[in-house]
Amino acid sequence: MTQVATHPAAAALNASKIYGKDDSEVRALDDVTVDFHLGQFTAIMGPSGSGKSTLMHCLAGLDSLTSGSVCIGDTDLAQLDDKQLTTLRREKIGFIFQAYNLIPTLTALENITLPMDLGGVKPDQEWLDTVIDAMNLRNRLSHRPSELSGGQQQRVAVARALASRPQIIFADEPTGNLDSKTGAEILMFMKHAVTDLHQTIVMVTHDPLAAAYADRVVFLADGRVVDELSQPTSAQVLDRMKRLGN
Amino acid sequence: MVSPVIRLTARGVVARKFRILLTTLAVVSGVAFVSGAFVLTDSVKSAIDNLFEELRGEIDLQVRTTIAFGDQGPGERDPVPLSLLSEISKIEGVRLVEANLRRPATIIKTDGKPLKVSGPAFAVAWSGPDGLDGRTLIAGTAPHGPNEVAIDKGSAKRAGYEIGDMVTIVGPVGKDQFTLVGLTGIGKFSGGAGASVSAFDPETANDFLGAQDQADSLLVGVLPGFSPSDVQASIEEMLPASVEVITGVQAAKEISGSINDVIDIFGKVLLGFAAISLFVSAFLIFNTFAIIVSQRLRELALLRAVGASTQQIRLMIIGEGLIIGIIATGLGILGGLGVAQGITALFNAAGAAFPTAGLTLSLRTILVSVFIGIGVTVTAAIVPAIRASRIPPVAAMRPELGFSALQRNKRLVVGLATLLVGITLFSIGLFVQPGGVAITLGSSAIGAVMLFLGVASLSTTIAAPASRLISRILPVPFRPMTRSVSGRLASRNAQRTPRRTASTASALMVGLALVSTVAVVAASVKKSFTEQLQSSVTADFFITNPSFQGLPVALAEHLDALEELGSVSPFRVTQALVNGEEKQISAVKPEMGDIVNVDVIKGEFGSLAEGKIMLHEDPARDLGVGIGDSVNFTWQNGTTSTLTVGGIYADAGVVGNWLISLDTLSQVSKVPPIDFFIGAKIAEGVSVKDARAAVEKVAKEFPSAEVQDQSEFQKSQEDQLNQLLAIVYGLLLFAIFIAVLGIANTMALSVYERTREFGLLRAVGMSKRHLKRSVRWEAIIVSVFGATLGVVVGLPLGVSVAMALPDSFVTTTQIPVNTIVGILLTSIIVGIVAAIFPARRAAKLDVLAAIATQ
Repeated sequence: MTQVATHPAAAALNASKIYGKDDSEVRALDDVTVDFHLGQFTAIMGPSGSGKSTLMHCLAGLDSLTSGSVCIGDTDLAQLDDKQLTTLRREKIGFIFQAYNLIPTLTALENITLPMDLGGVKPDQEWLDTVIDAMNLRNRLSHRPSELSGGQQQRVAVARALASRPQIIFADEPTGNLDSKTGAEILMFMKHAVTDLHQTIVMVTHDPLAAAYADRVVFLADGRVVDELSQPTSAQVLDRMKRLGN
Repeated sequence: MVSPVIRLTARGVVARKFRILLTTLAVVSGVAFVSGAFVLTDSVKSAIDNLFEELRGEIDLQVRTTIAFGDQGPGERDPVPLSLLSEISKIEGVRLVEANLRRPATIIKTDGKPLKVSGPAFAVAWSGPDGLDGRTLIAGTAPHGPNEVAIDKGSAKRAGYEIGDMVTIVGPVGKDQFTLVGLTGIGKFSGGAGASVSAFDPETANDFLGAQDQADSLLVGVLPGFSPSDVQASIEEMLPASVEVITGVQAAKEISGSINDVIDIFGKVLLGFAAISLFVSAFLIFNTFAIIVSQRLRELALLRAVGASTQQIRLMIIGEGLIIGIIATGLGILGGLGVAQGITALFNAAGAAFPTAGLTLSLRTILVSVFIGIGVTVTAAIVPAIRASRIPPVAAMRPELGFSALQRNKRLVVGLATLLVGITLFSIGLFVQPGGVAITLGSSAIGAVMLFLGVASLSTTIAAPASRLISRILPVPFRPMTRSVSGRLASRNAQRTPRRTASTASALMVGLALVSTVAVVAASVKKSFTEQLQSSVTADFFITNPSFQGLPVALAEHLDALEELGSVSPFRVTQALVNGEEKQISAVKPEMGDIVNVDVIKGEFGSLAEGKIMLHEDPARDLGVGIGDSVNFTWQNGTTSTLTVGGIYADAGVVGNWLISLDTLSQVSKVPPIDFFIGAKIAEGVSVKDARAAVEKVAKEFPSAEVQDQSEFQKSQEDQLNQLLAIVYGLLLFAIFIAVLGIANTMALSVYERTREFGLLRAVGMSKRHLKRSVRWEAIIVSVFGATLGVVVGLPLGVSVAMALPDSFVTTTQIPVNTIVGILLTSIIVGIVAAIFPARRAAKLDVLAAIATQ
């Protein structure tokens, strides 16, 4: 099992995000402080509207906080302009979305190397091969997304997130659009990326079965961190979720 | 490694090729129009240059009278006395001197009817194939003696004559029969650009054409071994001051140059319409890109999320525009060759006789087409590209955050400001007319463009309520549109993307606004014209030459001798400098006062008989002259005279601004006279029928003449105006065609976008027919919206233009209600046509697949 590192890959400090004004004010995040450790697979869970997606968007530099701060490594995102944020996303962060992960006009391989191509960086071929083999995509590389199954598409997305060896990978309901068998397969690939390839993944999910693959689960409700579990089982997660639901 | 931006750009275009096809088509047609205009004018000009270079033959020098101003050629100047011919032939180095003489003459066909040609019909003096000019003998022999003629091969064939036949030819002073002995051509041309040419030996020509021992000019050939410029100098020395000698090359250049000036104007008009088409295409390109960007929202957001910079996104969209621009420009340039050929064929069919010797595609044409085609496409892609780059990366997960809320107020302000500046510029151009035609036109054109852009911008704000209103009041079969599900869907769909509805409608707006403008101006001109003709034309008969070649002066003399007619007067024109400005001066008999009513407000028409002048009130006011004041004239041949004002009139519709008598004209100009038309009044006590018979009998001897009574004359004048308008409408149709493409394209893109929605509608039980109807009605709403905007913008534009036109042209403003209603009704058809393909596509969707679409 991976050891908990002392230096966080990403962190939120007193993070608050408020939508709207006055009466229609919604506190999507309410003074959240949380660390995500290097080499760990963390799941963020919570019911709908708990702020879990907002937290991830803010951590990934896709959205900005109303107050507080978020850091990727030791970089405070609030200090960056759009250009620097773009570079940060390209170099330090990987993304896996629920759906529509791939550019339909590019082949699987072109999708995988896209962030590096955009940055004008040559991919590390050895690592690329490792990732491609790990995701079992070797004979799918020249296919367009429309020629791939849902699971294959999601594996390409995982490979893309891994390819640039980012500091941290954010996954937003990566199995939400897949059947349970294919979903389990993707989660295994992700767990494999953390344990064997020493990557760091933060995953937002509402599925206790998915969360059980993680090393650690952070529970959010009403924009606050309310609980967390280490080395969870799906039963434990389900139990916590039920309590939160009440 | 290919740059990812280039790769994404190229793949983006390929993936959307069908969606982009119509856009490309719009640019192609615009560019084709531009390059076609250039190719056409270049080709015609080079053909004309060739023709005149061939015609020049071995003419080294040309001797002609001088003119004080203007650029008239031989035949339009005072003639040269033939006595000079023998003197020049004695000069050292001169090989040959010939008289150049050319007069209108008509060949009578074997069936007794005059040979109709689209170009000029004339006779020339010809020394035969060994002579100096470029006329060649294709068959037979050159004409010799008083009974022989040679005719150009094309005309001989069309008139049905062969060598040896007797041919009747009507010259300026009478008709005669000649034996056809030869067929002529010009260099490699066997016809003469739509002209008919009969050639006589110089002496016969002098007699038959009534030249009275004078020539239009003298042609000189120089002996080998002598320098033409030395010979030119020696001739110059012996010539009187009123005669000059120029090189044959310069003479040829002057003639082709003056024709080419006309071709250039024609080309500029075509380019003007090309600009309109391109402007409309720009809306279409803009719209397509805007829609494609919004359809690719998630893809673009995803690119941003994985690290594409805003600049890379911008480059990608603009790059797509660039690719379309390059492809479309290439096709457009090729299309231009087709357009040039098409227009030539069209105008030749209408009788214009463009000489053609292959199509000329110059580097300039290619460069301008590339600049314009790519420029317009890329420019139209800029705003969508900026919009695309502003898509936040988070939209990859939450598409609803894709586009920032519409900044309604900002757009209102910008739209209004553009509109106001546009109106101001347009008004300045029209009414203030600051220095020169170029500035006036430029200011009005830029003003109009800004006005259109302003309205297009503002139309976004009213698109939704307007669509609602149109769907409520539009009469669809059986019941209001909003009562049916299809109608409600159509209406809501038009309202839900007001930006798209507005910019699609705007393309049509531009086209139809211009049509309404032209319609108002045309109706006003027509009404003013008819009113003017009705009040001023009191003549019983007008005799004209329908091919605008003028009438032989003998005709008026014959008519004058008829007992059945009272007053008869020909109408001639000449030019003079008044106060340093060139003016066209009309010359008539004092009897013209009985034939047309020019509305004399001071003095009297009869004063012309005393050698006085009459003028319209406008130039009288400008010059500050009244009855009894004198005006200085410098005539074309350099003579000057001071004439007294004998009358001022208010209606310049028929006779123009300046009037002198024929007697005065004969004193100041020796140019071989041609009558533009002849007006005649029936003598007292003679019936119309008898008079007409008498006139027709005389006119029969002059085959180029056409006799018209008052109403026929008015009708023929109006027909000419209508023909011109038909051409203008035809060219504007092109812009409207592009706008229709635009609506079709937008609808097709919308259908594509709503695949899932349509799948749902079909799943819950909507029939294909209803779905089609819904798409069709949406297209109708958009096009009616565009047409209404067009009319609303076009009517005031037309009224302003009509008001700005000079009073001699437009006196009343008329709004053509029928045309306007026609435009609005046509827009419904436009909508139906534009929706054919998109509706069919919507109906064809596979329900299950459609629902499964993301």
